Amino acid sequence: MVRCLLTIIITSLIIISGAIYENYFIHSTFDEMHIMLDEVHQKLENEQATVSDIIAVQDFWITKKKHLHAYIPHTEIKEVDLWISECVTYTKYQKFDDAEAKIEVVRELCEQIPKSFLIKIENIF
Amino acid sequence: MVIIFFRAIILLITLILVMRLMGKRQIGEMQPFEFIITLLIAELACVPMSDVSIPLIYGLVSVLAVFILHQLLTIFEQKFKPFRHLISGKPSIVINKDGVDLLELKRNNLGIDDLIESLRGTGNFSLDSVSYAIYEANGKLSVLESDNKSASQELPVLLVSEGKIDQKNINLCHLGSDFIDKIIKDEGIKSLKNIEVMTLEPNGRIYYKENGKKYKILNIDLPKESNPW
Repeated sequence: MVRCLLTIIITSLIIISGAIYENYFIHSTFDEMHIMLDEVHQKLENEQATVSDIIAVQDFWITKKKHLHAYIPHTEIKEVDLWISECVTYTKYQKFDDAEAKIEVVRELCEQIPKSFLIKIENIF
Repeated sequence: MVIIFFRAIILLITLILVMRLMGKRQIGEMQPFEFIITLLIAELACVPMSDVSIPLIYGLVSVLAVFILHQLLTIFEQKFKPFRHLISGKPSIVINKDGVDLLELKRNNLGIDDLIESLRGTGNFSLDSVSYAIYEANGKLSVLESDNKSASQELPVLLVSEGKIDQKNINLCHLGSDFIDKIIKDEGIKSLKNIEVMTLEPNGRIYYKENGKKYKILNIDLPKESNPW
């Protein structure tokens, strides 16, 4: 009985602490990413963006995604990878409208992915 | 992580309810809860193992959720007996001193055929060769054999089950449908629907049970054209 209770408490603690960390890590990462994307978006609108701006976002994403793989389905991470890569190429050839569209998709993904981790009826069912 | 945890718990509880409502037929030598855990754990571990696009943590959290629920239910089962009956079910006495208890069989989603099949599994071929037959919570049939072992010397066939004639067995025995009618008339049974079960042995020994009455044994001479199966 005591052993049973102890295992329940320990396992629950593992899950709760894991969930808190997961929630914090995902939200802080995507918030940071979103700020960077907003800046890039602004530059693309003004046609002032350079490849190095997009590469900076890409580098940030590459460092963070290593940890994100533990929590987010890998297909979603791959999607962000692809959209950023396309954006790099469009910026390189100064196709700012196309690059802006790609960044818009990445921004949307960065908004939607953390939302799927919130405790809501639509996420559970 | 929390989403996965909730999803696992919801599915597990649903599975327990469904398994309990399905009755004892669906379980094989395991408690309903054990059966579900066995089914689930393998699948939960298997999916993230084989699909690399799913984070391993999804599988781990689901398995831990199953573990927590298992431990919780174990505690509740130990502390509250009614809860144990609710989750694991309770034994059902399907044959008593009066014979087959059809109502109890129905409660467990079982039929006379299932009972006869399970009885054969225990080495008892005749319905009156046991005093008591109990379907345990794990779906296994336990029997208390009666002293009357003469009943199991022959292989009986089911002629009437829940008020319906088994035409296949009637044909197998080369008996006409008037054979049953004659028994009904001779025994003063109101209608065929009143017969819960009737079996016939090659030596002419008949076991039958009417609704709400104790079973009866008849010894009759079979018609000459009948086939000793």
